Amino acid sequence: MKGVIRSAFTLIATATLLVMASCEKNFLDVPLQGGENTRADPALAQKLVTGVYNSLLQGDSWGNGDVHGFAFISVTNIMSDDADKGSTATDQAVPVGDLDDFTISPTNKFCETLWSGHYNSIGDANQALAQLADAAIDTTERTKLIAEVRFLRGYLYFNLVRMFGGVPLVLRVPVDATDANTDPAFFTRASVDEVYASIINDLQFAMDHLDLKSKSEVGHANKGAAESMLAKVYMYRENWQKVFDLTQDVINSGQYRLLDNYEDIWRQAYQNSDESIFEIETGTFNNGNLGVNNYTVCQGPRVGGKGGWDDLGWGFDDPTTTLVNAYEPGDKRKAATIIFIDNSGTHAGTTLWDGFRVPSADSVQNLRYNYKAYTSKTDEDFQDPSDKDRPKNIRILRYADVLLMNAEAGIHTGQGAPDAMVNMVRERAGLMDKTGVTINDVWQERHVELAMEHDRFWDIVRQGRAASVMHAAGKTNFVAGRNELLPIPESQILLSGGKLEQNPGY
Amino acid sequence: MTARPFSLQAVKNQINMRRGIGVAVILALFCSAAFSQTRNVEGTVQDAADSTGLPGVNVVVQGTSRGTSTDLNGHYSLDLNEGDNTLVFTFIGYETQTVTVGNRTTINIALAQEVKALQEVVVVGYGEQKKSDITGSTANVDGKILAEQPVLTATQAMQGKLAGVQIISSGQPGSSPQVRIRGVSTALAGTSPLYVVDGVLTDDISNINTADIVDVNVLKDASASAIYGSRGANGVIIITTKKGKAGDMHISYNNSIGIQQATNLVKMANAAEYDNYVQAASGSPPPASDYNTDWYGVILRNAWQQNHNISLSGGTDKSTYLLNTSYLDDQGIVIDNDFKRWTIRLNTEYNIRKNLKFGVLSSFGNSINENGFNNLDIDAYGNIGSVYNDAYRASPIVPSIIDGKYGNTSAYQNVGNPLLDIKDNKIRVNDNRLQGSSYLKFEPVTWLSLKSSFGVDWDYSSNRGYYYKFLADDQTFLNAGGNQQRTRSNLAVSQTQWMHWVWDNTATITRQFGKNNLVFLVGTTAEKYTNQYLYGTRDDVPADPNLWYIGVGDANTSKNNGTGDAWARNSYLARLNYNFDEKYLLTANFRADGSSLLPSQNRWREYPSLGLAWILTNESFMQAQHLFDMLKLRASYGKVGNDKIPTGSYSQVVTLNQAYAFNGSSSAATNGAKIEQIVDPNITWETTVETDGAVEFGLLRNRLTGEVDYYNKKVQNALINVPIQRTVGDIDGLVLTNVASIQNRGLEANLNWRNTINDNWSYHVGANATLNKNKVVALNGGQAIYGGSIGAAQGFTTYTDNGLPVGSFYVLQVIGVFNSDEEVSDYKASDGTVIQPSAKPGDFKYQDTNGDGKIDDSDRIFAGSYQPKAYFGLNGGVNYKAWDLSLSLYGNEGNEVYNGKKAVRIDARDNVESDVVYNRWTSQNHTQTEPRANSGNLPASTYFVESGSFVRINNVTVGYTLPKDKLEKVGIQSLRIFATSQNLLTLKKFSGFTPELPGTPLDSGIELSAYPTTRTIAMGVNITL
Repeated sequence: MKGVIRSAFTLIATATLLVMASCEKNFLDVPLQGGENTRADPALAQKLVTGVYNSLLQGDSWGNGDVHGFAFISVTNIMSDDADKGSTATDQAVPVGDLDDFTISPTNKFCETLWSGHYNSIGDANQALAQLADAAIDTTERTKLIAEVRFLRGYLYFNLVRMFGGVPLVLRVPVDATDANTDPAFFTRASVDEVYASIINDLQFAMDHLDLKSKSEVGHANKGAAESMLAKVYMYRENWQKVFDLTQDVINSGQYRLLDNYEDIWRQAYQNSDESIFEIETGTFNNGNLGVNNYTVCQGPRVGGKGGWDDLGWGFDDPTTTLVNAYEPGDKRKAATIIFIDNSGTHAGTTLWDGFRVPSADSVQNLRYNYKAYTSKTDEDFQDPSDKDRPKNIRILRYADVLLMNAEAGIHTGQGAPDAMVNMVRERAGLMDKTGVTINDVWQERHVELAMEHDRFWDIVRQGRAASVMHAAGKTNFVAGRNELLPIPESQILLSGGKLEQNPGY
Repeated sequence: MTARPFSLQAVKNQINMRRGIGVAVILALFCSAAFSQTRNVEGTVQDAADSTGLPGVNVVVQGTSRGTSTDLNGHYSLDLNEGDNTLVFTFIGYETQTVTVGNRTTINIALAQEVKALQEVVVVGYGEQKKSDITGSTANVDGKILAEQPVLTATQAMQGKLAGVQIISSGQPGSSPQVRIRGVSTALAGTSPLYVVDGVLTDDISNINTADIVDVNVLKDASASAIYGSRGANGVIIITTKKGKAGDMHISYNNSIGIQQATNLVKMANAAEYDNYVQAASGSPPPASDYNTDWYGVILRNAWQQNHNISLSGGTDKSTYLLNTSYLDDQGIVIDNDFKRWTIRLNTEYNIRKNLKFGVLSSFGNSINENGFNNLDIDAYGNIGSVYNDAYRASPIVPSIIDGKYGNTSAYQNVGNPLLDIKDNKIRVNDNRLQGSSYLKFEPVTWLSLKSSFGVDWDYSSNRGYYYKFLADDQTFLNAGGNQQRTRSNLAVSQTQWMHWVWDNTATITRQFGKNNLVFLVGTTAEKYTNQYLYGTRDDVPADPNLWYIGVGDANTSKNNGTGDAWARNSYLARLNYNFDEKYLLTANFRADGSSLLPSQNRWREYPSLGLAWILTNESFMQAQHLFDMLKLRASYGKVGNDKIPTGSYSQVVTLNQAYAFNGSSSAATNGAKIEQIVDPNITWETTVETDGAVEFGLLRNRLTGEVDYYNKKVQNALINVPIQRTVGDIDGLVLTNVASIQNRGLEANLNWRNTINDNWSYHVGANATLNKNKVVALNGGQAIYGGSIGAAQGFTTYTDNGLPVGSFYVLQVIGVFNSDEEVSDYKASDGTVIQPSAKPGDFKYQDTNGDGKIDDSDRIFAGSYQPKAYFGLNGGVNYKAWDLSLSLYGNEGNEVYNGKKAVRIDARDNVESDVVYNRWTSQNHTQTEPRANSGNLPASTYFVESGSFVRINNVTVGYTLPKDKLEKVGIQSLRIFATSQNLLTLKKFSGFTPELPGTPLDSGIELSAYPTTRTIAMGVNITL
């Protein structure tokens, strides 16, 4: 019996020792180190807003997503009559060559990354909006930030609807993977009208709650940007009265003017200039360049033939003869838009505005390049100038576009002064005034004024003459009723079990 | 080695002894009570083998708890009571003797060592067990055998010694070999086994001096490793280090000094062969040149390797000590590399009371790796390729260096000069590691043992990389041009510090009731790990090494980074070992693991296991037979986990540094953040369920012993990425979750033959083999994984999909070479499309697997796996008088490897292998296996897949022990001299450097920048004073 008692005591002592070793109550509550979670940072909401802007820089065209990178350039400029694929015949023949030639497969990688890139950004916007909803910040500040994010979301959907037509309208953050796989909003297409209604809703909110440019921080979305973007959206909806009213309001705001020299618009010194309404901002971060991945390098003049020089890029997005021929004699914009490679046999080469000499054609791959994507290694300021992919602000909306929208709406509605608007643009280009401008005159002016600025393809689709313009430019593979839109990525259709529907003709 | 104070039988008799309560009283447990003394017996206990006195032998009066133990000389003296007539002599590792006293007053005893294979005690995790009592699958190797080999890590020395344990070693200084126990059981989680060094849990033992190790025991099946719960799935390797023994101080010195060289180098084309091939490939000859550079000859060398080890040990019955210090210098076969490591170990143990023991086991190691081969691939400036790819591609017609100026391979062919690849940077990795544990062991009563052990593992490493500035001009090169240059010098430094402590508390109850023997262990453990990493870099740091500090560089170029990690873990464990009459054995394990790394709602995971065994030879019906000395059947089932999943993978983390330059280039960007991942909040450790059945036997008086195991191991919830609609905005469109299932099934056999013919001759032979079959049972909606990307035109090379081994090669099938234009135009799909319209005679003909009339990625086929169907080892030794000879072989069979370095050829001017020059297709030689001269850029195909089967003589050692009588006069106890060779000979089918190609589960078996197999020839001495 005593033995039993003794054993019992011993066991108790043992048990005590064992429990002592593990009794510290919250021993296992060790927070994740270095991985900030949503509860850790009171300023998170503001940071997420900046993150949405950052997502506009996506240029991972063969990977996770593209918003303003090579894929964007491909479906805006290269697909249009402004530009050809360029580079060597085989380089990127599959994603880019197929887009240029309208032999686009539903597995086209660039279509897929444009889809994923835009939805990445929209996801970032929805996350930011969710955090802003209960962030402990000043109400005015909160409203302004919400308005900025909704401006960006509206812009992103505007691009999506122009690329793909009606798309899944995702306006919230999924709770988890199950939620995302259950709610049809994530994998069925909303109609074009529903998407536009959402875009208008977002942009109207932004316009109502943002300040004029002069009262806003540089680079942020502002009232003028929202109003101009909304005007452009209404132009695609052919609501001409709205277009006219909104553009007139922008013009009357006194915030904007045309720069004196057209070519200055794309110089670093004139980023966020008086003409600028909305730009994708690039610069310096962490002692390195911060820009849209591959935006400048993919369009830079490429070495070819005899070689012998350190080239500027990969040589894509080359202006076509159609574009060259679109300019009237004496139009200053031609030389500001196109780098012409010297093919005269004199080997003089081409000297660019900063004095850089591009060799003549026998050392260069292509005959024309996009001047609006050029950056100067010597005369502009970069953190890492030796990087060929130097960052460059992309001019998304500028005052000339607003003037031309106003002219077009004015003709449709019989209001305002269309001639004056068009002539302001023409005078800067060194051209004679026109009187009695027609819709076709405005379209022509838009073509040359905004050439290589990611507007042309969507513009001719909007104008309802995409097939005829394309066929005239020799792009005979363009099929009306099919090629106005890109194919919905095959991978996503499969993943939805067929619930996501393909565009006609693909 | 600790002697058990008293036999189990003694326990029962202590129950009536009077003691108080509490620790102080328990301490008094063994105080003798007063008994009348009647007579005394004394004597000496000797080792039967060498007639030396054995200290610490327990001498107990049978049926009582009374007894004593022998002193340092093996002498004992014991008072006997009336009726005491039988003495029991016990000592671990020796056979117990029972002696009737009769009228004798002096009893001298010679104890014989136990027959080792059967009675050996093995460490099984939180305790020890007799090998014969084990019901799970374990494998054991003696530290002495490991220390014999001139290799860098103990892991590498284990290769071929253990059935079921595949070790893949590159042999490069500072690297850790890869260990796969019973196949690849994960696709995306970690694969390294758990190492337990004297109770300290770790993933890496490259800090351990092999000569410190006394024994390695591998827990292979889930029933054995379940005591380590969530860490057991990749197997557990338990390492026990040496301890001092009571007795005189021993000093020993061991060394080996040798030379290493690369073996099985691939012969590249010389200048003449190169000219011939390039002309054929490009239509025009390369420029005339007087040079004929052997680039491998330029960057490789014969290298010295030396290893010294001094050991000092001894002790009394109260305390023992062991001090081991070692120095290793391995230059490595790539020029400029130098790996140095020194270690010091101090293991001390104290017997404070008869039932209270304290020990401290500690080691410190420092290693410095200068310009390690690994690091040469790292190039902050993206300089062209790695040194090995460059050496393969660089043309022999360009000189390496003349009068301090480099040959400009970059200007000629856009390939970096391999010599400059090495010389243009200086990289140093300096690692310090302190590892140790201390324990207190208390036995309040003989049947209860309490142990508290605290282990610490601390590491601090600082790395420095300096990248020289040089331009592609005629200062650096013989001729200017090309793009191998660095316009600004750069310095990058990083520091990593981590600390891990483990506190184990266990109670072990050992009881016997009649024929029922029972050992019950319960315990808890607590652990904590923290890690900090800091990195900084700046450009324009001058080339003077005295100025290699971050502050010296241009502040406008500074970049830095820092990360951290921390986790805690708490576990409860229990084990029951039960046997009835040494015939029927049962082991049940249970461990519950709680970790901060899992979300609080499912923080705890339980891991049970059960093992059963039947020792037939202990049955009475087996006593009549004389075939088996031992025959045991065992079966087990267990569940273990793999906790090597990414930290925080279940938690929603904010992606930082998502900046935007609101002011354009006018001012620095504003920092931002994103939430861009959908995570599975229930993500958890992978769970493996394993069954094992085995037979163990001993025949012919245990000269032949062996065991055969069958296992079936299935990972039930392997991590896999499941695709999710892009519309949710997940940055990669993938959600990591636990849904896949992966299986390994196999057979292991291990046979050992050991025989002593006479006093002069003895020998032993051991053989082991493992057959393993791996497959992905089901991805369950997970995305099949592409892996093994090797760039150029090849893209990925492996694919992990349902029904196939993890990481299978997935390439185009070469079905021949076109001999004529007619053959090209005749190769059509069913609809008449010419499949390879642009092919020329001499080009490969690829199989149009999907019949769509063109060759693309969708025509890829499975072309085997890097995982061998079988691997095996053969180890033997002979002793003849003073001579000893040992030999070990290792090999594997049935796997494929990918000759990735051949695929890095992307230009007509890249060099080729000499064999390719001669064997290529020509209009005269219509070979169907080698294409015409080409400019590389071939797609991934079966052309690059080769057999990975090989057999290698891992080690041959010859030793001679000098005669003892002569040595003793000069005060030396023993002196042995030896010569040894590592990797003396490799027989392989593979045309590359080495078929031993470590990697992750998804990209192993690809030779891209492989370190060649090195052969070492060394000599050394073992001296004991």
